[in-house]
Amino acid sequence: MRTTRGFILTALAVASVTVPVVAHHGFDTEYDSNKTISATGVVSKVEWTNPHMHVYVDVTDAAGKLKTYNLELTSPNAIQRQGWNKNDLLAGEKVTFKAHAGKVEEARAALDSLVKVSAPNQEIFKGQRPD
Amino acid sequence: MKKMLLVAAAIAALVPAYLSGQQGGGRGQAGPREVVVGQLAGKPVIQPVVRGVDYRDAINPNDPAMNGPVPRLPDGHPDLTGPWEGGGSDNDMGVEGGLKPGELDALLLPAARALKAERSKAIYGEPYIYCLPMSVPRINPYPWKFVMGYTSKGLQYVYQLHETGDAGAHRVIYMDGRPHPNADTLIPSWWGHSTGRWDGDTLVIDTVGYNDKFWFDAPGTPHSEQLHTIERWTRISYGTLVNDFRIEDPGTFSRPVDLRFVARIVKPNVELMEYICAENNQIGLAGGYLKPGSPGIAGGAPPVGK
Repeated sequence: MRTTRGFILTALAVASVTVPVVAHHGFDTEYDSNKTISATGVVSKVEWTNPHMHVYVDVTDAAGKLKTYNLELTSPNAIQRQGWNKNDLLAGEKVTFKAHAGKVEEARAALDSLVKVSAPNQEIFKGQRPD
Repeated sequence: MKKMLLVAAAIAALVPAYLSGQQGGGRGQAGPREVVVGQLAGKPVIQPVVRGVDYRDAINPNDPAMNGPVPRLPDGHPDLTGPWEGGGSDNDMGVEGGLKPGELDALLLPAARALKAERSKAIYGEPYIYCLPMSVPRINPYPWKFVMGYTSKGLQYVYQLHETGDAGAHRVIYMDGRPHPNADTLIPSWWGHSTGRWDGDTLVIDTVGYNDKFWFDAPGTPHSEQLHTIERWTRISYGTLVNDFRIEDPGTFSRPVDLRFVARIVKPNVELMEYICAENNQIGLAGGYLKPGSPGIAGGAPPVGK
């Protein structure tokens, strides 16, 4: 199942390069495609909400300062249709993520990739960034 | 993984190849970015491939089931239930509806053209992104369906439900033969007043009484409260539903506009899911265009149509 899902997601990801994806509000209007944030932190909240899903990650920097990243994904319906469910990511889990920074509110970012530290080769919610 | 990527790349390459297949030229034949998806009234049905719908939940266009027979309801009419993806406008109504770029704008009256120009400059102006209804003929990348409403008197209602874009509302089409209310008593509304009838195998929906708040597409193609739409929905195969869409709006266009949109059936296991858009709408916050608690945004007042 996992392999099948991975294949389908990979196919969709590759296909998305050549097939236009709808955008009633452009990704680049909100997010900086050239500014990628990479960090490791602890998931504080997973919101399976409409219109888009959000994952909040608390990141503590070298000086001990805490910053919460609000990572946007696409709709919870689209994500569920790809086979993900609420048990795939829970509050309290340590994760490493990459995201595109918000153009003004940097920490309100668009999730690009996310893995659990305990399973660094298994991407959670792959290909489900906001469109 | 490498093998998976190669196969995935092959599939990705086949998608546009299929979509651009059967190319021809001129009206009645598919152009470079169009595809013939079937026949209607002896003529090819052409689907532009410039639109934004990615048909993420639709069945594979090469699946033989696509060209299978049209399912029938117990009363013999075609089953238009779906769910479907596509079949309407989103990023550019004219092009998505089969016109050449700019052709639709050329039909806009001066005031409407100025309004569209103003809307096109606005960031986050369209009511839809504040969780208000898309209305006709908008669609988005999510499935939608017709619900055929039978009572002891037969088919009395058809409901149109979009998974997203209805703002929790539904569109009702009266199939019981009632006329539209008198124009001077109609209060303009998001979906207007729709009556439907069968013309052979085609569902014809006639709608008046729209408000002027929703946008026909993301750039803001406008309309007035004089809008009158006539939709002709024909399922030409198991997998394809055609929407021949006429706009009559003397307050906006210099003449009636005829467009054609094409919807595709979704995979058998895809159902409409709950979607309450206003639950946690954070549009505009990352870009700094809106602040938390703005109207239509999470924690804010209800949105107001523009």
